[in-house]
Amino acid sequence: MTTSRPPLLRSRTAVIAGVCTGLATHLGWRLRSVRVWMAALTLLGGAGALLYLWLWVLVPLESTTDEPPRRTAPVAALLVAIGAVAGIVAISAMPSSDDVATSALVGMTLALGIAVAWNLILDRTDAGRTSSYGWWVRGVAAGVFLIVGTVALASRPAAFNAFLGVAAVVLGIAVLVAPRVVTLWTDLQASQTARVRDEQRAEIAAHLHDSVLQTLALIQNRAGASTEVARIARAQERELRDWLFTGSAPVDADLAQELRDIAAAIELDYAVRIDVVAAGTAFAANPALVAAAREAMLNAARHAGGDVSVYLETTASAIDVFVRDRGPGVALADVPDDRLGIRESIIGRMARAGGSATVGAGASGTGTEVHLHLEVV
Amino acid sequence: MTTVVIVDDHSIFRSGLRSDLDASVEVLGEAATVDEAVALIASLTPEVVLLDVHLPGGAGGGGAEVLRSSAALLDRVKFLALSVSDSAEDVVGVIRAGARGYITKGSSGAEVSRAVAAVASGDAVFSPRLAGFVLDAFGAVAGEQAASDSEIDRLSAREQEVMRLIARGYAYKEVATELFISIKTVETHVSAVLRKLQLSSRHELTAWALERKLL
Repeated sequence: MTTSRPPLLRSRTAVIAGVCTGLATHLGWRLRSVRVWMAALTLLGGAGALLYLWLWVLVPLESTTDEPPRRTAPVAALLVAIGAVAGIVAISAMPSSDDVATSALVGMTLALGIAVAWNLILDRTDAGRTSSYGWWVRGVAAGVFLIVGTVALASRPAAFNAFLGVAAVVLGIAVLVAPRVVTLWTDLQASQTARVRDEQRAEIAAHLHDSVLQTLALIQNRAGASTEVARIARAQERELRDWLFTGSAPVDADLAQELRDIAAAIELDYAVRIDVVAAGTAFAANPALVAAAREAMLNAARHAGGDVSVYLETTASAIDVFVRDRGPGVALADVPDDRLGIRESIIGRMARAGGSATVGAGASGTGTEVHLHLEVV
Repeated sequence: MTTVVIVDDHSIFRSGLRSDLDASVEVLGEAATVDEAVALIASLTPEVVLLDVHLPGGAGGGGAEVLRSSAALLDRVKFLALSVSDSAEDVVGVIRAGARGYITKGSSGAEVSRAVAAVASGDAVFSPRLAGFVLDAFGAVAGEQAASDSEIDRLSAREQEVMRLIARGYAYKEVATELFISIKTVETHVSAVLRKLQLSSRHELTAWALERKLL
């Protein structure tokens, strides 16, 4: 045999457990003939059912997604129906034949027990099963248990059937209680794993805070603010800090965060330290303002380097962004017309967005300060 | 010559900082835990303590606990908080416990020396990040100041201007030039803001601090 078969895997969309679909794919047969063979083997003393169970246990699920498998056959409801029929048989056979009643009671207990277990374990994760379906299955199962159990006890039965009757009543009550217990149990498990995970994370955070972050601070301290080494240490520090303290909380795409991200990206490429300070209410990022601020920060990084301060102030009526550096400074009149940086990307862009931009000397005449202003409508 | 005690639980950081400081600063001693620090500060009474925000030992309160335990010394000993980051979370707790300012651990030896000198002479050391937080916490940006009537819970117009310029990255000298006032006046304003930050019971500030378990 040189042709390779597809691997034997159980399908995630299944009637019962996906065994037949998996076999059909693996053997290259038609699905219908696999099912006919399975049914025929089941008639031969239950061999097909055993084979089915054996394959169910041993063959892995196909792993295309993490979704729990969907089952089309309402197995739990069918089993409840079988259990109900067995219960009726047991009641009607009770006065005449104790042996028939016993096997009917055992069959009923098995069918209903499996139905409830199936419902609690397999249907719980199945998106195709509603919770009212679950209530129906368990309610009817409990009802059958209780009625048959009481009737069996009331009809002065043989010793073994009396025992089965008591068991049926107890099981009926258990079925009603089971979902609560299962829910409590899974909740407990989930909260325990969550707590362990949080504790571990806090421990790692404390340890890293005490060791790695301190070392990164020391490296920056010894290497000088705007050297290559300090820059890398700072980027690492920021990344680590984000991972440690932001956790899995969703990051709001507000203006301050946007500016911080831009600053972090620029720091990676240029010998510069950008300090972003934000005050006021959070605002959604305005694309034109963000682009102009980015251009201003890039200019500061390219032409000045060193320490750059970015201050964002948002009030109910306006947004102001100040970007200042301590470089050689820029005189707007000296910039040639063909240089698009400041004139187009900052001033023009802000004007088109309905705001304004001023580029001037920083405090005491050192460096440059860009001020972006945008009224909020 | 300013006498200093360095409190930090990392010996590498202590020795690095020690060798980096100017000749104007004399290091009297070093401590690594809360208990060591409290004892050492009481026995040496330095002019300035360089205090790490995160410290082991004591009741687990870190730098703020050292400040509370040394409360009796606060008018003789000035505390300058050192923090590995410049996030307000790390810093507001120690400021409200009595520190006169803070500086990040990434700062150079010269910057730390300058901050030590400023704190020793009674000034407050503000970073842009802290100025931004103050503007936020006192509602200066949102324009809700008028609602508060207590003097301690609001910033004056001048204090707001000073904070805003510091947040924009201006040094005290540059703030003075920009506002046509003397450096001394700038320092007075900053000290006043620091006092308000320490004493204010402004709702936002306390709520903010409570939420982060700083009080």
